[in-house]
Amino acid sequence: MKIAYALLGLILLYIYVSIISLLFSGIDRKLVARMQRRIGPPILQPFYDFLKLMSKETIIPSTANFMFKAAPVLMLATVIALLAYTPVGFPPLFATKGDIIVFIYLLTLADFFLILGIISSGNPYGRIGAAREVAMLVSREPAMMLGVFAVMWGISKLNVEKPFSLSSLYEHNIWELGPMAWIAAVVLIYVFLAWLASEIEVGFFNIPEAEEEIAEGTLVEYSGRYLGIIKLAESIKEFIAASLVVAVLFPWQLNMSGIEGYILNLVIHTLKVFVVLLVSKTIFRTVTGRLRITQAINVLWTRVFAASVVGALLLAMGVML
Amino acid sequence: MTWLPFIIIIPLFGAFSMPIVSLLKGKAKEIWATIISLATLIVGIEVFREVWTGGTIVYALGSETPFGKANFPIRIVWEVDKFGAIMVLIITFVSFLAILYSIEYMKHDTGLEKYYTLILILELGMLGIAITGDIFNFYVFLEIMSIASYALVAFRNDTWEGIEAGIKYMFVGSLASSFVLLGIALLYGQYGTLTIGYLALKMSQNPTIVAKVALALFLGGLLFKSGAAPVHMWLADAHPAAPSSISAMLSGLVIKIGGIYAIARVVFSMFLPAVNLATVGWIVIIFACITLIVGNAMAVVQEDMKRLLAYSSVGQIGYILLGLGIGMVAYGSRVGEIALAGAIYHTVNHAIMKALLFLVAGAVLHELGTRNLNELSGLARTMPKTTFAFLIGAAAIVGMPPLNGFASKWLIYESSALFNPIIGAIAIIGTAFCTAAYIRVLFTFFGRPSEKVMKAKDPGIAMLLPMMILVIAIIGMGLFPWQISDKFMIPAARTLWDIANYVASLMGGG
Repeated sequence: MKIAYALLGLILLYIYVSIISLLFSGIDRKLVARMQRRIGPPILQPFYDFLKLMSKETIIPSTANFMFKAAPVLMLATVIALLAYTPVGFPPLFATKGDIIVFIYLLTLADFFLILGIISSGNPYGRIGAAREVAMLVSREPAMMLGVFAVMWGISKLNVEKPFSLSSLYEHNIWELGPMAWIAAVVLIYVFLAWLASEIEVGFFNIPEAEEEIAEGTLVEYSGRYLGIIKLAESIKEFIAASLVVAVLFPWQLNMSGIEGYILNLVIHTLKVFVVLLVSKTIFRTVTGRLRITQAINVLWTRVFAASVVGALLLAMGVML
Repeated sequence: MTWLPFIIIIPLFGAFSMPIVSLLKGKAKEIWATIISLATLIVGIEVFREVWTGGTIVYALGSETPFGKANFPIRIVWEVDKFGAIMVLIITFVSFLAILYSIEYMKHDTGLEKYYTLILILELGMLGIAITGDIFNFYVFLEIMSIASYALVAFRNDTWEGIEAGIKYMFVGSLASSFVLLGIALLYGQYGTLTIGYLALKMSQNPTIVAKVALALFLGGLLFKSGAAPVHMWLADAHPAAPSSISAMLSGLVIKIGGIYAIARVVFSMFLPAVNLATVGWIVIIFACITLIVGNAMAVVQEDMKRLLAYSSVGQIGYILLGLGIGMVAYGSRVGEIALAGAIYHTVNHAIMKALLFLVAGAVLHELGTRNLNELSGLARTMPKTTFAFLIGAAAIVGMPPLNGFASKWLIYESSALFNPIIGAIAIIGTAFCTAAYIRVLFTFFGRPSEKVMKAKDPGIAMLLPMMILVIAIIGMGLFPWQISDKFMIPAARTLWDIANYVASLMGGG
């Protein structure tokens, strides 16, 4: 019975997040246009794009193999499964002890499927994009993992019900750990915003797709339905990644019971996600250009990961002392 | 009545009748070998069930009890506990699939009656090691297994690499076996008995320096057989040179039964009362850490597909040895139990997934005639089923959650992190290398099809069927990881630790 409710919740959450995340990318495009003194597309533009892509003819390259067709579906499936482990204002639907590992795994797996699909097209541009994507993937995740594990370890010292679960973020949070942890938290805000920007690949980190340089790189061969699915999955993933940032750093929610409590908390969470994405995506991509891949990797290891180490050590000291 | 003797009788009968059966022309020898190995599989399942419902089986050859008129065992005994039963099951399973696979894979070769005789003898030798409770009998079966595998590695004796790898393997392998024999001779001279359980009893009463020297000789010989790091070089040559069905058995079974199982059995069931287990454990852990890093790191740089898989086997043996070593040092604690259960679980899982990967490599070799990874670009286009099997196998060996490799590696990570965080970090580094190696192969397979690859196609049903059975086994076991671990692997680890029960069931029952 509980599983049936959780599944129902997952379906509703999936519908909600699909709509909200596409809506946000509409708002994002509008805001970017306004920042550059353009009128920009209507806010519902991503929905029209999606519908159009779904109705277009899908072309399969002659060099493609079975993964080319399977990868977008697998990617979307992974992202939907990931929603069950995402904190969205209330604890994740399938929260268990240690589910943070599942979360990180599925988040990476979605990218991995995309990469597999891209190289399966046989297009050399796609291959370059995929190689860059892998390099970015390997460079950006350690900073996030270290930050998340440090915060969760700190929280688990405060007697939570399920240690190292994303649900524990709603029992206690990083700001309760004392003044040393506040400094750590400020460092981690920087780390997480940078990670989010590299995860959704905007601004400095818009390298694998790099429209002008390598002709759309990763998505060069995808068209029609598959492109629509990938775009949808990517925007849901954007929402999920931002949700993680919100849950780790700004988890304040209203303490209200009943079904309206869940809905209200979901709305509050969505607003916080919008704010985080506004900073990390909209503004960042308007004011910065793209780095070269070597520079981006350098930035991720020397600036972001190093900051993450500093943040984690400060946090550990704050908890221990 | 117990099914146990038939586990030896049936393959022995099959092997010895093979020259006569092969006088019939046509497919008689293939069919005969398949029937024999299927019958062995059925007996293996029955033995497994028997042990799991009735506890340890003790079987004395030639009489009802191993004692005769004496008050100590004088006959050869076979003693199958839960760990042994797991090994029996996995040996018969993988051997059956390898023989089924050979029907199509080996059809271009000549001298097949010798091939099927040898492969049945190889299976027989491994089963003997798993069931025996007598140390000299163990040596005999170890040699049966080793000699059959020397011959099978060099089976394609018209190729230079087969002969080269066979000679290398035989020279060093014989040396390693002679260490084991020397160890046995020392133990017999000191304690006057060859039954494992009774030796343990004698050793506990009178631990001597001879026992320690014997243990050192055993460990030296058996680490060689398992392909641990400083002595893994034979493996990297033997696995690529052997026919792929043999590589699957060598990598999936031989290095585990002749190495891991034998070390676990000798240390836990024989030397446990006489030596300081922590020292032995740390020696094993050091070798394990070196093996982990060397094996996985060397796998990354390979260009030959089967060589890559061979080095990856070395790396995975490192994990199993790590679990085993922690199981020795942390004897009697919760951490040690998890580690040992993880080692046993990983032995089973790695047998299944490495068998699958070698069968896939064999299919590629069979269709394209090359093992060079640079020429195999875009294989997924023309051999989709084979590539899919490889994808599953590679994901399982890296340890991705919905597949079986996850749970076993998790147990090893968890226990090593609890035991000593540095060792846990080494295990993670090993996995990072392993991931890099397999991702590279996947990128090649899913890339742009090269001209050579365009002419290939999926192999026939006799080669695809074993691969698909292994894929189903990987996915199926992956769906119930903790149930398998709690129901089978942890009890097996406990019985392996429980030497009192091992000795008692030998001396009291039988």
